Amino acid sequence: MESETEQLIAYVERNIERTLADCTTCGKCFDACPMTEYSAALNGKTGPEVVAGIRSLLAGDGGTPAALEWTRVCTQSARCIPACPENVNPMLMMRLSRITALGSTGGPALLPDGKRDPNFFRRINAFSALQFSDAELAAWQR
Amino acid sequence: METMRERVVFWYGCNAVRHGDIIHSAIELLRAVGIDSDPAGGPAYCCGTSKDGNLAAAAGMAARTVEKFNAAGRDTVVTWCPSCHRHAGTFMTGVNTAKFGVSHITEILHTRRHLLVPLLTHRLDRRVVLHKHSGFHEVDAYPLIADLLRLIPGLELVVTDYSAPGHMCSAVSAVPAALKDVVRRSAELCRAHDSDTLVTAFHSCQRLLCGLATTDGIKVVNYVNLLVEAMGMKPPADEYAEWKNAGSEAAIREKIGEERIAKIGAEFFAQQVLPELRKLPEK
Repeated sequence: MESETEQLIAYVERNIERTLADCTTCGKCFDACPMTEYSAALNGKTGPEVVAGIRSLLAGDGGTPAALEWTRVCTQSARCIPACPENVNPMLMMRLSRITALGSTGGPALLPDGKRDPNFFRRINAFSALQFSDAELAAWQR
Repeated sequence: METMRERVVFWYGCNAVRHGDIIHSAIELLRAVGIDSDPAGGPAYCCGTSKDGNLAAAAGMAARTVEKFNAAGRDTVVTWCPSCHRHAGTFMTGVNTAKFGVSHITEILHTRRHLLVPLLTHRLDRRVVLHKHSGFHEVDAYPLIADLLRLIPGLELVVTDYSAPGHMCSAVSAVPAALKDVVRRSAELCRAHDSDTLVTAFHSCQRLLCGLATTDGIKVVNYVNLLVEAMGMKPPADEYAEWKNAGSEAAIREKIGEERIAKIGAEFFAQQVLPELRKLPEK
């Protein structure tokens, strides 16, 4: 029986496979993205060019600097979803790209993981303790 | 129209705990529309969405949370956080077998809004601007929230065409220049519409924008607190906003009180909590 982690990796891989099968690299998702203006590195890049890099990343071929940069600045605006003529869900494609770029599917880590903060959950617990009664904490958060 | 009382799990997520007022008001609103809730949240109920860089941790968190909800035996888990809602509909239930359905709180409140109508008796004579994001595509939450707010007597709601990127402000914060634009545009919209109040839908927008009270004289309030206030109840204090707008370290410490600070550890408070509270929105 597969472990929880193996099941999740298999889920990610199934979605990558489906994305690679359906995406035609038209680049309309990139064109619709409101975040590209925040990156000088993406200035002048075309949708097909950058999405080809995303496909390379998802396929395990390392991607391109522009694909990694687009992955970095993606904030899940969802404006790419209606832009996609193939119903790929480019926002999920970008999430899969982030997961891959962080090295979570077995490849090298190509982006820093900004959320790997040892105090992330400790801060949450601290704010909880400041605002909730002991009874609420015991009943709601254990 | 009669609606049966129902019992659900109200899953408020992790980071929303910075806003105990929002969680308490949301529970009150659910109760008002005939829903008793088993609240659940904090890191012990993390969905795992923050662990894209560590799928072993993400898988463990998702499995544990689904298992707890299955054990709770409720038909419905009502979500607050758009990240949790998204993750629940994809990665969590794509791998784990859930014995429950998932609905977002805006859908529940909107569907049962006829039960709120007779309770919203207290006039709120003010003009407010709704702060929106484009990214929560799973639920078209803003029209639902706008409908709810329009039920409040006296409230003048301004809904503009501007939707910030991301599904809430915390997503945008990964790109600081973009967050500055969101802050600037939000303040500009309030000024343009002669409003001193910005209404947030989600906790991280409340967290990252509530300091506008200090920087721009704009009050930032979550929609659930407006609804509770319109029910004639005193909404729970938005302590996070009070702390953030206290003006100095000494004032923050005074408002929180030494007893509560000691509860989380003075050193941890100074190193991890205070810097967050001292940080105001930048434009």
